[in-house]
Amino acid sequence: MTAAARGSWDAAPCALLTLSADGTVVAANATALRWLGRAPADLVGRAALSDLLTAGGRIYWETHLSPLLHVERRVEEVALELRVPGGRLPVLLTAVAAPAPGAPLEVVHAALVSARERVRYERELLAARSAAERSAARVRALQRVSAALSVAVGVDGVAGALLGTAVAAAGAAAGTVWVADGHGGLRARGSTGEAPGDCPEPAAELLGRGPGGELLPGGGGAVRSGGGRIVVPLRGHTALEGVLSLLPRSGPAAEPLDAEVLAAAGGQGGLALERARLHEHSALVAHELQRSLLRVDPPDDPRYAVATAYRPGVEALEVGGDFYDVFLPGGEPGVLAVVVGDVVGRGLGAAAAMGQLRSAVRAVAGGGTGPGRLLARLDRFVEQVEAAAMSTVAYAELDLATGLLRYACAGHLPPLLLPARGPVRLLWEGRSTPLGAFARHGERVEAQVRLEPGDRVLLCTDGLVERRERGIDVGLELLEAAAARLGRGTEAASVRALTDELLRDERGHDDVCVLLLTWRGPGVGAPHAPAAGAAHAGA
Amino acid sequence: MDRERVLRRNNVALRGTPGAPPMALLHGFGCDQGVWRHVAPAFESTHRVVLLDHVGSGGSDLAAHDPVRHSRVEGYAEDLVEVLDALDLGAAVLVGHSVSAMIAVLVAAQRPDLVQRLVLVGPSPRYVDERGYTGGFSREEVEELLETMDGNYLGWARSTAPFIMGTPDRPELGDELTGSFCRTDPDVARCFARATFLGDNRADLRRVRTPALVVQSRVDAVAPPAVGRYVHEHLPGSELVVLDAVGHVPVLSAPGELVEVIRRYLASPVLALPAGDPART
Repeated sequence: MTAAARGSWDAAPCALLTLSADGTVVAANATALRWLGRAPADLVGRAALSDLLTAGGRIYWETHLSPLLHVERRVEEVALELRVPGGRLPVLLTAVAAPAPGAPLEVVHAALVSARERVRYERELLAARSAAERSAARVRALQRVSAALSVAVGVDGVAGALLGTAVAAAGAAAGTVWVADGHGGLRARGSTGEAPGDCPEPAAELLGRGPGGELLPGGGGAVRSGGGRIVVPLRGHTALEGVLSLLPRSGPAAEPLDAEVLAAAGGQGGLALERARLHEHSALVAHELQRSLLRVDPPDDPRYAVATAYRPGVEALEVGGDFYDVFLPGGEPGVLAVVVGDVVGRGLGAAAAMGQLRSAVRAVAGGGTGPGRLLARLDRFVEQVEAAAMSTVAYAELDLATGLLRYACAGHLPPLLLPARGPVRLLWEGRSTPLGAFARHGERVEAQVRLEPGDRVLLCTDGLVERRERGIDVGLELLEAAAARLGRGTEAASVRALTDELLRDERGHDDVCVLLLTWRGPGVGAPHAPAAGAAHAGA
Repeated sequence: MDRERVLRRNNVALRGTPGAPPMALLHGFGCDQGVWRHVAPAFESTHRVVLLDHVGSGGSDLAAHDPVRHSRVEGYAEDLVEVLDALDLGAAVLVGHSVSAMIAVLVAAQRPDLVQRLVLVGPSPRYVDERGYTGGFSREEVEELLETMDGNYLGWARSTAPFIMGTPDRPELGDELTGSFCRTDPDVARCFARATFLGDNRADLRRVRTPALVVQSRVDAVAPPAVGRYVHEHLPGSELVVLDAVGHVPVLSAPGELVEVIRRYLASPVLALPAGDPART
């Protein structure tokens, strides 16, 4: 090297290094020595470039840059850090291998440019990008959680939605949802990636329990970790509804769980749990109300037997307005009244309207009213109680001495006659429109049929026969066919057999009420204890 | 998973002599199957040479990267078992470089039927120091590597960014270099780096009953000679050869010497495993 060239080499505003094939520094310019704070004898022939780098840079050199130099003969603008007196110096490294490709690597020429400002700028960019990516990922994760929670039905549904989305969003290995039992305790309500029994009950100090071990209303404020698990509080408006206990992944490459995402998911999950719990509670109240409204208590009488069944619809956990009743109308000894009806709508409102309508039937029946006039009076009743308008009712009165059955249907499915001898048939007479839809007040038709001893009459609501995928006439044919196949078991057994058969492929969307009445005949003396009177069957 | 999907997932290439004994060459962290360019041809006349890219590297199917499965070296071993089963070539010589040395060890421990011999180039079962064990790095230093990698994935620092293609001013590179060598998706690379450098597979060494050769560079800043010795001492029936090479990638820097060592080993009779080894069944 000439003196002039030597001068340029040393004066270059970047560190210049010549490396042997194995990375050892064989020449360094003055800038390089100054930056590194080394004398030539400490560096040249003594150290490899990778020795001058931070540990991260060293691995990176060995695993990425050195192979690249061998294969592509060149690396450009690689960000590294030199270990220099007083700290680290960010540099950009560009290096070329000589001679040309094809020959074995002999020498590498490297130039390192100081990049303090650039690296600072780059780090800011990188930090901004990471923050943006993190927040975008969080938003995506929370959207998934929200979407799943918004369609979840019931407490188990909410628990399942949380397990399905929050556990995955957080990158946990396993998780269990614990739900507050209302008495200060927690119960495991669902798990993913583990058996519920494998998840330890969240420790008291993670939940904010009071001195008596009760869950504090303000407790469980933050995502905590303990016992190798992350505990996410699921808070409702007023109380801790439960917790999500997560097991972090154990692999070395596992990223730590994102507490902010979990806290937000936990907030949504808590509110969803609260809503689900309240909803289940009100559904339970409505079902209880309906069952209490449907209680029947007809007196024992050997001349008839009756069985009823009520199956609530399961869709959306709401009650419907189906009802039945069996009673002895006042002022008409020897007459038994049976009724099955269906109030439009679902929920507590429909259940309440059903209760009112059912009471109204009892109030207006008897005293020689008869089925036709009874329906006409109910028309006037539903003018006062709008929620009961458009209800359908099938009403029948059986003269227990003669077997004469007088009946009338307001928009309801026709009664089905199951004679002791002969084919079953639908009683299509005595039909008129639903309650409140009748154009001329005071005129409702009725019909009558004389029963033989042992004849049966079935009343039901449309849930028994109606399906979305087929017409009602098809459903009625299936009902007739099923009824024709029934043997002469007890009324309760017959009702159960009939509902089992007709509801076998039905997923329980709609309420179903069924009532089966047998006229045993006029002259039955002694009570037939087991079969006589009322029997109730749940479907 | 069907055969075609497995082979496509790992960009499996078959070279050499059909019907000859199989030899799988497994690239390490930071590279792809291109790292074997000077080694693979030397065995093509005697072996059926299997080349592949680990998921996330080279021409592998990026969509197959599973952050859970591939957060541990064991996940890559499962991939390799699937590839070997799909190929159905019989017990193979597994030549694993760097992290692939441990991937090969895991496969030999789990499925000895798939492995005839092991050649472990620059192996390390544990990079992070612990009491009584020197892996060469502290945990903070491994985190530093991740930072360095992150720093080089920003747009302008393109050396290892996945999108760069061959430089137009150097047409001599030809088609062989598609610009993908050593380049991969940043998130995947980070995941692979954590699996590689934060894992601990020391306990897996003594599960191996397959004859093994440990090949160690004289100077290696990533897997130092002491670690190579550790692997040799804890791997029953292994042999140790120290290359005169410097650096962690003798596969590229000293391919001639490496080929010689592997040939000699494959030609030699297998060392008997220590008698009465309690772990042997």
